[in-house]
Amino acid sequence: MKRSIVVAGALVLGLGAVMAEPDQVKDTQTMMKGNGKNAGALAAMVKGEKPYDQATVDAAIKQFADTAAKLPTLFPASIKGKPFDGDYSPSSKIWEDKAGFDEHIASFAKVIGDAKGKITDLDTLKAQLSVIGKQCGGCHETFRIKKT
Amino acid sequence: MPRRILPAALVAAAAGIGLYWWLTAAVPLAGAVTAPAFTPDIANGEVIFNAGGCASCHAVPNQPDRLKLGGGLAIPSPFGTFYAPNISPDPTDGIGRWSEADFITAVMRGVSPAGSHFFPAFPYTSYAHAQPKDVRDLFAYLKTLPPVPGKVRDHDVPFPFNIRRNVGIWKLLFFDDKPFVPDLSRSAAWNRGAYLVNSFGHCAECHSPRNFLGGIIAAQRFAGGPNPEGEGWVPNITEKGLSDWSEKDIAYFLETGQTPDGDSAGGAMTRVIKNTSQLPEADRTAIATYIKSLPPVEGPPRPPKKKKEGEG
Repeated sequence: MKRSIVVAGALVLGLGAVMAEPDQVKDTQTMMKGNGKNAGALAAMVKGEKPYDQATVDAAIKQFADTAAKLPTLFPASIKGKPFDGDYSPSSKIWEDKAGFDEHIASFAKVIGDAKGKITDLDTLKAQLSVIGKQCGGCHETFRIKKT
Repeated sequence: MPRRILPAALVAAAAGIGLYWWLTAAVPLAGAVTAPAFTPDIANGEVIFNAGGCASCHAVPNQPDRLKLGGGLAIPSPFGTFYAPNISPDPTDGIGRWSEADFITAVMRGVSPAGSHFFPAFPYTSYAHAQPKDVRDLFAYLKTLPPVPGKVRDHDVPFPFNIRRNVGIWKLLFFDDKPFVPDLSRSAAWNRGAYLVNSFGHCAECHSPRNFLGGIIAAQRFAGGPNPEGEGWVPNITEKGLSDWSEKDIAYFLETGQTPDGDSAGGAMTRVIKNTSQLPEADRTAIATYIKSLPPVEGPPRPPKKKKEGEG
């Protein structure tokens, strides 16, 4: 019974191979949105809208480190040209300039590694967030397209 | 009567050519040559350099030093690809031999020292609203930067857009060279912001839709539109697009590239942030004050969001 439900589900949604790709798109978007949420929480502290909170900082850095580790797998060639819902889509330059893209990933990973444990108060947060933010922008400059 | 029509046609053609020549003439900025001597404020020149975003296009691409103004960046457009020229003080390949009057005329009127029109990929359409004193300070500041040898290749722009004389017609249609007039009913900060945004900041050049001739659609100024440099969309920065941003959010974005929801600037805006992050805090706040005051304007229709696979 279960099996036939799964099979029926797979047929409704399309072939397994096609299914795997939208899932990757969704995973990639979820990861990136998580980064934004965390960066936003840090920015709120820097802007003085929220008090400094070490747990929020540690959670954000952990999420960034996760992203850095997973980034090399977030944009497989299989999602090239796939439809992305929302405001952004990956630029085809990710696959055309793979070396350049990988360089950005390595640089981001290094910055996050360096930042680990260094943020202990508002001033250190300010300093580190500025460096981290440049990493986000540096990659989005070339490898992300704003659609709307 | 071909015999009678021929002379008339020749006269008409000559008159037409004469009219074209007159309409498309590149006129240097009167007064630039006779400007009184003054001591330039180099520090202000640097502020103007950052507000104007000169480095974004003129810095040598793919190297970290934004003060190496050897040019060479490819600037794609619907009319062809432009290559940012060398504006370093190199006497042969840059602007080392330019007089101050040459520079003011170039920046504020889009006319080269040789007397031809620059293409409006160079945003003199905005710089025209600058105060000449700021342009003079900018010139003095540029002179302090290192000369970079190397001539930049020619633009890759097909006929008829490659005819510089035609830019004279374009200017008649779209070039507003009126100086910036402060609005005395507004605060000093608002006026400073309005000045920076509309002159050196040249924000409207990307954040406005353009017509088929590449002129900004005035009614939709700042309302965003398709990316003039290629794929993607430039956001609406009137209240229509930024209603949920505070002044502080805008100023913080110009400093760090971070949006209120934690996202980062991307695309060409990343290069803009490299400039605005160097501005004095007060100038970023002034820009934010002005931007936040822009009344909501509906931009051109956005491309439909892509549907999910399987939804047709």
